[in-house]
Amino acid sequence: MASIIDIKDECALQVRNFEFTYKGAPAPSLKKVTMPIAKHAVTALIGPSGCGKTTLLRSFNRMHDLYPGNTYNGEIEFEGRNILAPKEDLIHLRTKIGMIFQKPTAFPMSIFDNVAYGMRLQGIKNKTELSDRVEKALQDAALWKEVQDRLKHDANGLSGGQQQRLCIARAIAVEPEVLLFDEPTSALDPISTQGIEKLVIELKERVSIIIVTHNMQQAARVSDYTGFMYLGELIELGHTEELFVTPKEKLTQEYITGKFG
Amino acid sequence: MTATQKRIIMNRIALTFATISTVIALAFLFWILAVLVMKGIDALNWNIFIYEGSPPGYEDSGLKHALVGQLILVALATLIGVPLGIMAGTYLSEYGKNSKLAHTIRDISDIMMSAPSIVIGAFVYAVVVMPMGHFSAWAGAIALGIIMIPIILRTTDDMLQLVPGTLREAAFALGAPKYKVIMDVVYRGAKAGILTGVLLGIARVGGETAPLLFTSFNDNFFTTDLNEAMPSLTVTMFNYAISPYEDWQQLGWAAAFILSMFILGLNIVGRLILFAGKRK
Repeated sequence: MASIIDIKDECALQVRNFEFTYKGAPAPSLKKVTMPIAKHAVTALIGPSGCGKTTLLRSFNRMHDLYPGNTYNGEIEFEGRNILAPKEDLIHLRTKIGMIFQKPTAFPMSIFDNVAYGMRLQGIKNKTELSDRVEKALQDAALWKEVQDRLKHDANGLSGGQQQRLCIARAIAVEPEVLLFDEPTSALDPISTQGIEKLVIELKERVSIIIVTHNMQQAARVSDYTGFMYLGELIELGHTEELFVTPKEKLTQEYITGKFG
Repeated sequence: MTATQKRIIMNRIALTFATISTVIALAFLFWILAVLVMKGIDALNWNIFIYEGSPPGYEDSGLKHALVGQLILVALATLIGVPLGIMAGTYLSEYGKNSKLAHTIRDISDIMMSAPSIVIGAFVYAVVVMPMGHFSAWAGAIALGIIMIPIILRTTDDMLQLVPGTLREAAFALGAPKYKVIMDVVYRGAKAGILTGVLLGIARVGGETAPLLFTSFNDNFFTTDLNEAMPSLTVTMFNYAISPYEDWQQLGWAAAFILSMFILGLNIVGRLILFAGKRK
C-alpha cells in the first residue's frame, strides 16, 4: 500500500485515481495514482527510468494530446475543475501550467522574441508592456545582466545554461500558476545546474513547481515534497526530509540507498 | 598469400578502379564546361543583352527576348510551384506524418520527380494549351511549376522533419495553437533548408526545354504578354543550334553559356546556404 502524505495547506493540483495508457500499450503506464501537489512549494518526482514520472508530469499540461491515441482515466483537479475533461481548453491550460524541458528549447529567434513569445500569443502588442515584462522575466530568471546588451541577438548563441534560464524566463513571463520541470539540468554542467536549482527555490514563492529528476541529491536540495514512483505507481509521497531520512516504504528505502535504480 | 594480403590487394584494385572512374566522369564534366566557356565567351557581346532576335544575317540580333522570357517563365513557375510545394511538404511533415496517406503522397511525389519532363509538357498542352487554343507563357510556367512541386515538397518535408520535436513541444507548452507553432517555430528552424530547396528547384526547372516546346513554344521577338507564346533561353538555344546559320549558332552558344552560369550560380548559392545552416 502506498504511503501518501496528507497535505494540510492549499493544493495546486489534486491527482485522483489517475491512469494513463499510451497508444497501443497493453497496460497503463500509470496505475491509480493519487497525489496532492502543494501550492507554492516544490514537489520532486523521483524513481528509476521508466517508472512513469515524466509521463505523469506531461499529463499536467496534457502534453500527451499532441500524439493521438493515448487515454487518460481518473481525475486531475486544477482550479476547481478536472483538466482531463474533453472540453478542457488546452491552450488556456498550458498558459497556466508551463513546462521546462530536459534540453533547452530556445526558439530560432532573438532573445527578446523568445521571452515575448508567450505574451504575444496572448495578444499583448503594447511595446512598452512587452519590454517591461521581458526585462522582469529575464531578471527573475537571473539572466538579465548577461543578456541586457544583446536582446536582439539570436538566442542560439547563448550557452546551454543560459538557454535553459531563457526558457524559464519565457515560461514565467506569461505568469503561470504551475511550472513543470522535466529533468531541467540533466544536459547542463554543475555550475549551470546550481543556478537553475537556486532559481527553482526562488520561484516557488510565486508558482507551484513539480520537478522530475534522476538526481536524488537534487530532489533533496530543492524540494519540499518528494514522490517516489516505481513501475507506474506512486509508492510514497512525503516531506522531502522525512522521505530521505525515514522512508515509510521498504521500496523507497531500497531505492534511496541505491539497492536498485 | 595470407587472407590479409589478399584483402589489401583487393582493396587496392577496387580503389584504383573507383579513382579511374571518378577521373573519367569528372573529365567529361570539365570538358563540357571548358567547351561551353570557350565557345560561350567567344559568342558573348553587349548586343546580346540589347537586341531581340532577328532573321539570320542581321548585325543587330541578340537574346534580350529569350533572357526576359526565361526570367518571366521561371518567376511565374516559382510563384506556382513554391507555395504549393511548401504547403504540401508542410502537410506531410506536420499533419500527415507517418499516415498511409502521407506515405502514398511521398511515393507519388517521388515518381513525379523522375517523370520525363516532356510528359508534363504534353499534359499541360492537353489541359491548358488546347482549351486556350494557343501557346502561352502561362502554359509554360504551369508546366515548369508542376515539375517544381515534387522537388520543393520533398525538401520541405525533409527539412521540417529535421526540426527537433522538443522545439514544437516547447511552443505548444506555451499555449501556442498548431498553426502558430508551424509558422513561428518550425518554419524558422527550417528556413535555410527550405530556401535551399527552393533555389535547387528553380535551378532544376530553369534548364528545362522539353516541357516548354509545346506550351510556351517560342518567339523570336520580345514580349511580356503572358497570354502569348513566349521565348525562353532553352528553346531559343535549341532552335538556333539546329539552324544552318552561323550567327544564330553563335547566339545559341551564348545562350547555353548564360543559362549554365545562371543555373550553376543558383546551385552554388543553394548549397552555400545549406552548408552555413548546417554549421550553425
